Amino acid sequence: MVLVVRIPYAAKTPSTPGESKEVIETSVIYDLLVSAYKMFRMFVGPFKDIPPEDIYTKCEQFFTPYIMSRNIANDLSNIIQGINYLPLEKNSFFKVVCFIDLLEITYPDFKCVSFVYNEQLIWNGLATNDMLTLYQYLVQTLLPKQVEKEIQGGAVTAAVRHGRFISPPEGIRTSEDLKKLHKVYLMREDDTEMKQYYLIIYRTLSATVCFTIDVNTTLDLDTFKSLDAFIGPKLSTIASSISEQCAVHALQNAQLSSSEHKFLYFNRLNLACKTSTPPSLTPSTAVKPEVLSIIAGIHADRKSLGNYGEIIIKTPDEYWITGKSSNDREFYVIIQEKNANLKDIADEVKRVCEEQMKGIFFYPI
Amino acid sequence: MAKFCLKDSEKYYLTLSERPKRFHADSPVTNVFFDDTNGQVFTVRSGGVTGVTVNGMDDSKCTSFRMEDKGPIISIKFSPDHKVLAIQRNLEGQNATVEFANFKDLMPTNVEYCHICKWKNAKILGFVWPKANEIAFITDHGIELSQVQPEKKQLKTLKSTSFSAAWFSWCPQSNIILLAGNNGILLQPFSLNNSTITKLQKLEVESSRPVMERDVFVLRLCGAAWCALFKHGPVSNTTSSPGPTEVWLVPISGGGAVQHVLKTGLVGRFAVSVIDDLVVIHHQSSQTSLIFDIMEEAKPENNTVVHKPIVQGISMRPAVVDEQTCPMYSGNWVVFQPHYVIDARLGCLWRLELNLAGLAHEVPKEDISNIVGVLLRRNNSKETIYRILNQLVEHAGTYLMELTHCFDEINAVYRRWADLEVARNTAGCPPPAQGHFPALVSQADMCTHVLYKHSHTLLVQVVTAYLSSLSRYELVVQHAVCELVVRSLVRAGEGGRLRALVRRGALQDGRPLACQLLSLGHLDPAAAQVALDMMWRLRAYGEIVEVLLSREEPVSAAGAARQAGAWGSLAARKLLSAAQQHSRPETFLAIYHALRTRNERLRGTPDFLTEEQCGAYIEYYKQLMSES
Repeated sequence: MVLVVRIPYAAKTPSTPGESKEVIETSVIYDLLVSAYKMFRMFVGPFKDIPPEDIYTKCEQFFTPYIMSRNIANDLSNIIQGINYLPLEKNSFFKVVCFIDLLEITYPDFKCVSFVYNEQLIWNGLATNDMLTLYQYLVQTLLPKQVEKEIQGGAVTAAVRHGRFISPPEGIRTSEDLKKLHKVYLMREDDTEMKQYYLIIYRTLSATVCFTIDVNTTLDLDTFKSLDAFIGPKLSTIASSISEQCAVHALQNAQLSSSEHKFLYFNRLNLACKTSTPPSLTPSTAVKPEVLSIIAGIHADRKSLGNYGEIIIKTPDEYWITGKSSNDREFYVIIQEKNANLKDIADEVKRVCEEQMKGIFFYPI
Repeated sequence: MAKFCLKDSEKYYLTLSERPKRFHADSPVTNVFFDDTNGQVFTVRSGGVTGVTVNGMDDSKCTSFRMEDKGPIISIKFSPDHKVLAIQRNLEGQNATVEFANFKDLMPTNVEYCHICKWKNAKILGFVWPKANEIAFITDHGIELSQVQPEKKQLKTLKSTSFSAAWFSWCPQSNIILLAGNNGILLQPFSLNNSTITKLQKLEVESSRPVMERDVFVLRLCGAAWCALFKHGPVSNTTSSPGPTEVWLVPISGGGAVQHVLKTGLVGRFAVSVIDDLVVIHHQSSQTSLIFDIMEEAKPENNTVVHKPIVQGISMRPAVVDEQTCPMYSGNWVVFQPHYVIDARLGCLWRLELNLAGLAHEVPKEDISNIVGVLLRRNNSKETIYRILNQLVEHAGTYLMELTHCFDEINAVYRRWADLEVARNTAGCPPPAQGHFPALVSQADMCTHVLYKHSHTLLVQVVTAYLSSLSRYELVVQHAVCELVVRSLVRAGEGGRLRALVRRGALQDGRPLACQLLSLGHLDPAAAQVALDMMWRLRAYGEIVEVLLSREEPVSAAGAARQAGAWGSLAARKLLSAAQQHSRPETFLAIYHALRTRNERLRGTPDFLTEEQCGAYIEYYKQLMSES
């Protein structure tokens, strides 16, 4: 059934990014399709639960704005659908975890399913697949709108500091607002099957926390008010301490001259993704489509590298693309160098790998 | 306000010792004297003619004897070795005299002599024994320190200091005497250590009124000597009752420069005791005893730290004497340093005792960690600390915050101890200020006595809180804790949290942890992934080779062995077996050729040795070659 519905949308998708003159890698389109469906499933529900007579309108209502809103560019960060984790020193990480523990103990109906700082994930309480979908919803749809709102509205700055519910978008002030809560279909880490939950999202400064509540729970406005009073000050302290740490981190990174070569790292098990160009930075140094296409090819064709392997490809215009796979991880390096030989490139890749992926084990060759 | 109550604890935190020392006091011809240096009560009947009984907590030092009645006694005290008895009498026209009697085996030898102070007209305010054969006479003219020579029946003056004193206070534990000059406006301490009299810095008493004798105590507390000064609130004209009394602890020697103010919030008559470095202030009219801990964490302001009682004041546990409850805080009570209580009418000598569990009997929720902090500075307190922690863990749903703070208290103490140990070991010589750590709760203790005893669902949160506290105090997570963490997280299905902790470096790398994670790999491939990373960081190449072989990754196993420098010794059979099971024959061929090259380099010939038992693989090779 799923397959049948996909096809018309696959046909539709290429027209959307057609405005940009680049050719979009088919694997990127494929990923878009998959994530579009997963997003549909999370917010609308699985197809099997929708009566056949409604399915067309539901799809129309969901997919059209969704696909329209997505801006697909040929970029290194689009090749692999992954999650950007925030590197955090352990004491700050403990602050986050202990905050979540305390919150869940104090409000047993609420379960924290994700903690995101800016666009980087710190904590996850969902099964891996749903985690990616929720993360994409936050980072691609909800947060950009939210940030825009925060930048425009001067009056809301106080609220930004104190924290507020951002889903539903108007916040939770009256019992009417409770009816506007989103319902989502998710699998939490401790679930064995998909269940329906209310999704509540709270934001203070740059920290965004998502909670789920079982849909069968009777919602009470006072609980939400008390939750707001509980989270607000605590989260604001945590967010400022993380922000301090990020500032220090950024400073160190700036001094540590970034690698002159572009790389892409992906961990298949926790979907962690890291690129040499942080997504928000200038896209001016865009990678050539051919190179992207090669990387996408290696990534899509898992058999070529298997669990373990390394491949080096040279393009006619002196690009050397190295793909490594090992211990369920993938690592790609792009080197542009004239008159290099295979050994130079292998050594250089080894150096980049050791420098960028400290403490991570790549099967030696 | 939510209160915490330690299960099976009684509400009293102070008790009088179970069996008091009894003495017969209820007679008009009996006089009772107390010697706080030896902690003994003297009951003198009819001036000693019908007997003197000496009672103390140490039964071996108790005795009774008779002596002649030479006049009313003011003070009677044994030397610390109980070989000389000194008696001061109130005799007309015979001032400044103290009598001595030599004792042998706690019985008088009938050798008696006396000593007249150098200031003939002085009035003796009292005498003290700073040392076995040294006695100091405190007179209104000054102090005279003399050596007693019992065999010669005489005293030799060692040192004397002139000071016009009205009264004095003596601390036998630190041999410090405080003289009140100028009618109590000037407080001057002297040290009687090292067979001499040393004048110490006089105390600044910010009071226009003279200080009364009953308001001054010299205490030994936290290894230093302090002057405890009761400052009663001024009686103003507008209100009839004076403000609450404060106790000022002014350092005399060894206590640094910071003074402590204990806020009693009460008015009236007080007495003071010291138990286990806690100051106990007894208040008669309300029948309460307040406990103060001057070691509690506080920032001094103007060199002064203000303290409140560590728990709300209650009375001591009512004592039973002769099967009857005896009146507590009675007017017949006399409290002596450091922790003696005497009821002169009933004839009881008690020692005041601390009941640690009582401190946690009724505590506001947010003060629990303070109580644990107090307990960490007490002797024999670990059992009580464990009881509190176990109860908190049991109800972690209510007490997770408080538990976190308790962990912080415990780990802060451990950190300080560890730092001192490091300093001691590296400096080679012990640092001047040795910390006092009566209760150190190690990570192993925490596991054995607290964490391993629980298995409920919130253990994950408790263990996380403990880890975060260890991390805050930069304590390396020991193996016992690590094992517990893995066990409880895995049992609760929190594999994600476990991996996150490892990835964020919250659990230190270690081979046992790596092996535990690896063994989880069949349920959770991500655990095996972080396990391999950890082994890599630990340079456990041998283990990595084994893991890779078991995963049928012979090429990378060979690579890892090369990196470990173990390529030469890697068993050919193992490698070939893994290679044969690998789905691609090319892998087998590559390994086979690599091994032959190795053989050639090692032994000069590419062939395998028979003891390498590679026959089957040679056959397989031939088969592959013939197929291709």
